[in-house]
Amino acid sequence: MKKGVSLAFAVAFTGLWLSQVWAYEGGSVKDGGTISGVVKFKGTAPAPKKLDINKDKEVCAKTAKSDPTLIVSGGNLVNAVVSITDIKKGKKMEPQKVTLDQNGCEYKPHVLAFSAGSTVEVLNPDGILHNVHSYSKANSPFNMAQPKFKKTLTVKIEKPEVINVKCDVHGWMNAWLFAAENPYFGVTDNSGSFKLADVPAGTYTLEVWHETLGKQTQKVTVKPKEEVKVTFEVGK
Amino acid sequence: MAVRGFDEAEEKKSYGSVFLLGSALLVVLTLWAFWDDNFTRRPWKKFQAEFHRLDYRKAREAYEEQNKKLQADPAYQELVKKLAAERASLKSGESARKLHSLQREEVKAAVRFTELDQEVKFIKSELEEGWYEYDHAVQQGRSTKPYEERIQQLDQEAAKLQPELEAARQKRDELKEEIKKVQAGIKELEAELTKVAAERDKWLRVMENATINLGPLSFYKVPTIRQVVLEEFDRSRFDQPVARVDRCQSCHLAVNRAGFEQAPQPFRTHPRREVLLADNAHPPDKFGCTVCHDGQGAAVNSVRQAHGEVAYWEHPLRRGAKAQSSCTSCHVDAQRLEDAPLLAQGQRIFEQIGCTGCHLVQGYENIPKIGPSLRRVSAKVDPTWAVRWIKNPHELRSRTRMPNFVFKEDEAVAIAAYLWSVSKEEGEKWLATRSLPSGYREGDKDLVGKGKNLVGSIGCKGCHGFAEGEFSTPVGKEKDLIPNLKDIAEKAAPRWIYHWVRNPRDFSPDTPMPSLRLTDNEALAITAYLMTLGKPANGNPNLQKQLEDGKNIKRGESLIRKYGCAGCHDIPGMEKESRIGVELTTFGSKTLEELFFGNRTDIRQTWDDWTMHKLKEPRIYATPRVEQVMPQFNLTADDIKALRILLAGFREAKAPTRYRADWNPRAAQVVEGRRLMQQYNCVGCHEIEQRGGFIRKYYENPALAPPPLNGEGEKVQSHWLFGFLKQPIPVRPWLDIRMPTFGFTDEETNRLVAYFNGLSKVDIPYAYFEEWKVPKENLDAARSLFSKEYFDCLSCHQQGERKPEGPQEGWAPDLTLARTRLSPDWILKWLRDPQKVQPGTKMPSFYPGGPDNILGGKDDRQIEALRDYIMMLGKGAPAAGSRKVASR
Repeated sequence: MKKGVSLAFAVAFTGLWLSQVWAYEGGSVKDGGTISGVVKFKGTAPAPKKLDINKDKEVCAKTAKSDPTLIVSGGNLVNAVVSITDIKKGKKMEPQKVTLDQNGCEYKPHVLAFSAGSTVEVLNPDGILHNVHSYSKANSPFNMAQPKFKKTLTVKIEKPEVINVKCDVHGWMNAWLFAAENPYFGVTDNSGSFKLADVPAGTYTLEVWHETLGKQTQKVTVKPKEEVKVTFEVGK
Repeated sequence: MAVRGFDEAEEKKSYGSVFLLGSALLVVLTLWAFWDDNFTRRPWKKFQAEFHRLDYRKAREAYEEQNKKLQADPAYQELVKKLAAERASLKSGESARKLHSLQREEVKAAVRFTELDQEVKFIKSELEEGWYEYDHAVQQGRSTKPYEERIQQLDQEAAKLQPELEAARQKRDELKEEIKKVQAGIKELEAELTKVAAERDKWLRVMENATINLGPLSFYKVPTIRQVVLEEFDRSRFDQPVARVDRCQSCHLAVNRAGFEQAPQPFRTHPRREVLLADNAHPPDKFGCTVCHDGQGAAVNSVRQAHGEVAYWEHPLRRGAKAQSSCTSCHVDAQRLEDAPLLAQGQRIFEQIGCTGCHLVQGYENIPKIGPSLRRVSAKVDPTWAVRWIKNPHELRSRTRMPNFVFKEDEAVAIAAYLWSVSKEEGEKWLATRSLPSGYREGDKDLVGKGKNLVGSIGCKGCHGFAEGEFSTPVGKEKDLIPNLKDIAEKAAPRWIYHWVRNPRDFSPDTPMPSLRLTDNEALAITAYLMTLGKPANGNPNLQKQLEDGKNIKRGESLIRKYGCAGCHDIPGMEKESRIGVELTTFGSKTLEELFFGNRTDIRQTWDDWTMHKLKEPRIYATPRVEQVMPQFNLTADDIKALRILLAGFREAKAPTRYRADWNPRAAQVVEGRRLMQQYNCVGCHEIEQRGGFIRKYYENPALAPPPLNGEGEKVQSHWLFGFLKQPIPVRPWLDIRMPTFGFTDEETNRLVAYFNGLSKVDIPYAYFEEWKVPKENLDAARSLFSKEYFDCLSCHQQGERKPEGPQEGWAPDLTLARTRLSPDWILKWLRDPQKVQPGTKMPSFYPGGPDNILGGKDDRQIEALRDYIMMLGKGAPAAGSRKVASR
């Protein structure tokens, strides 16, 4: 029985390892092109909603907070993730070390993108209790307390997945971890723009993901050493 | 002259050809008999020979593959080289000489030791003799002196030899050790090599097992019958225990061997072998195969015979899922068998769809009637609706459990007439004192809206659907355990609904519908909402007259008796009716002769086919002379399959005690308790035994749904659970959904507590927390851990009157309840890893990783301290994080 289980694990892990290896192959890219562009919001931008800070006010209510789930700035969508979904070969994918800060009871950044296999360092400079509760399926879910004395926590996200992270102590705290399966991804900045560099020439599917607006894709053709401009229009 | 009686011609006649023919025939027959006996009647020999070849070939391939890998492995090569060098060094040169001389000396030393040892033994024998002579002389009154002297002398000799013997032993051992030391290098290398080559060499053993080796010759093993004898497993026709002989593994040689998963039958590995055939489950050398799979275990003459797929053999082979039928001959609790999902499903359907209303089955006698009581039906149901319902309930609600009896309109009216005649008095009396409050306004928007909200929030949907396609607990694939109320306004009037929802047991004392402790206003609002579901039917103006017609009433009475309505419903005047169907206790062992196929010639003559068609179309075997009354249930093919698997296991013969699995009172308690639990549909809201919690689909935030109760027996204290079931108190005040008051009897409550304890294998239901043993150090440490500086427990947990900040849905249970509610051991488990106990819980893991400066930074000690403290809280121990600490 025990043997069977460990064998099954071995098979599963080998499978996993293989699938990761096969899914994307990293190397050096010569004469890569660039994809850049803007994600526009279709429709009238909603007025920013103020969040009701109803707990630990002395720490959390120092700065006013607005609902981060849909931020439109100048007609452009902030915090959307643009990525290539069907690239098999390209620049090297290395595990990163990224940081999710909870300063002032707010996750910064609200959307954190990185390649799968990376380590997320969660900071708690607030001096109060937080907890980091992941709602993941592909990766094993976690719910770790981060009391005052634990300034940092680290979690490794092994598999590609978009994971919602919440703090049960402070109901309004909400973040997204975007673990990408390749190194071609970018989060739109305050002007809704993004840039993916060193893309080998070819035709790819470019996808934009947003937590409340869902997904949208388009085909894009990259030529060597050229920059191709892409515009997404996303709406409800 | 011829001698009398002597016929010369006869004398001269030759019988040579007859003899020749005769002996040729004899030879042929002998050969044929030999052939028939050894080959024709032993087809298993061919299979076994084939298997040995397969086994050998596979092992050889595996060996060669492993060998190739090893040969390519430099580490292995190095070891081989080292070993060869080491061996060579001991064959010649200095060390070889040393070894030889050591070995020679060792032989000498051993001889010397043996000689001395022998001598000592002789002396001991002589001593025995001396003592005998001495005793003999004492008894005969002779002088003992010569013997005493002899004994003394022998003692001295022995004492003198002893040190010599010891010295010899020592010398021998020393030499042995020295030889060992010289050879140690080889031994070590050999051991290492064995370890490295283990993966390869295990195949050598497999090959050896498949062959016989005589010197240089190697043959495949000679096929032999492989049989398992299950002593006293069966009963003879005279009810005497007889052994069961099971020879299946003469052909099915790899059932319990990994690696033959893809092999063709009969050589395939058993599915889920690691679990099902494990030593603690059903090891095939103890249980054989027929215990689960049936067939004719002793037969070896042909495959068909062995599989029992021949005429007059009553237990043909059970292939695949059908083997699940056999589980119940040894296991009491079919619901907990992970590998018998169809059996479990069949059992749930059987218990919940009303089969036991008409059919008696041992072990299922006490299942209560599944339909509502009809004692006051006239006060509840609109008669027009009732007639339609009786005629064909599936037309009104396709997912109802009530089967279709295919009544004609006049029959349905007659049945309603009887029901109305016997319930009228009781019904009117009940209604007389229960009027609809004046505040009720049909269709009032506010009221309806409020009612709708309540229905969605307080838990009604844990049982009832309120729209087409909405349902909670299913029975089988396409039936509802509990009525869908999508058209309740057609069926019942607001006055009845109002009083029913307020207190169901007031109308029907035995109903499983609980009270949700509704206020009058809440009941009113829910009534208003329910009255928007469907429209009251247009009454048939003649119906009232028909219902009062004496002829109809009489006819209805006989119809109700004939169709056995009282099997499911409590009907006045029918209290003494018994079950109308045949007993099914031994239905699974019915032979074809006992099954009535009517005039159906298109159905295959097997038990399985008969049963399948019977369940699909219950009156299929009716003929003009033989009427059948079993109603139509409209079950899906999957449900019928599950039921067949259960029914096939209804057999007279149960396995003898020593083969049974969970044949103990606890398993029986779990079975009983689960039935009760299902009857009250606890799984509508709660997940229990990893099943149910059907209401959770309506909740986006799982924290607002009813808690899962997997492992509840281990979690809570028995007396708390007892009290809570009797009279629920809010444990999670932030939930809108209400734990209803079921009005369980003491007996029922005890059964439920025993059920939860049985599931969690709680051996000692009552445990006492010895608080005087809690060290002060623990309490101090826990107080710190509780504080804002560390875990800040009260950030979410309520503690008595001290409520957490923020909205209620972010709160966690009142810690002062823990003392009476939670099991002290469970708290430890919970604190160690809450996600493991209840996946998805809001409670985060604080461990591993407690603070270093408390209780030496030892997680386990901190967890224990927290537990001790939590157990004291309810007693009014100084509150942690009390204002002083909090303001710091």
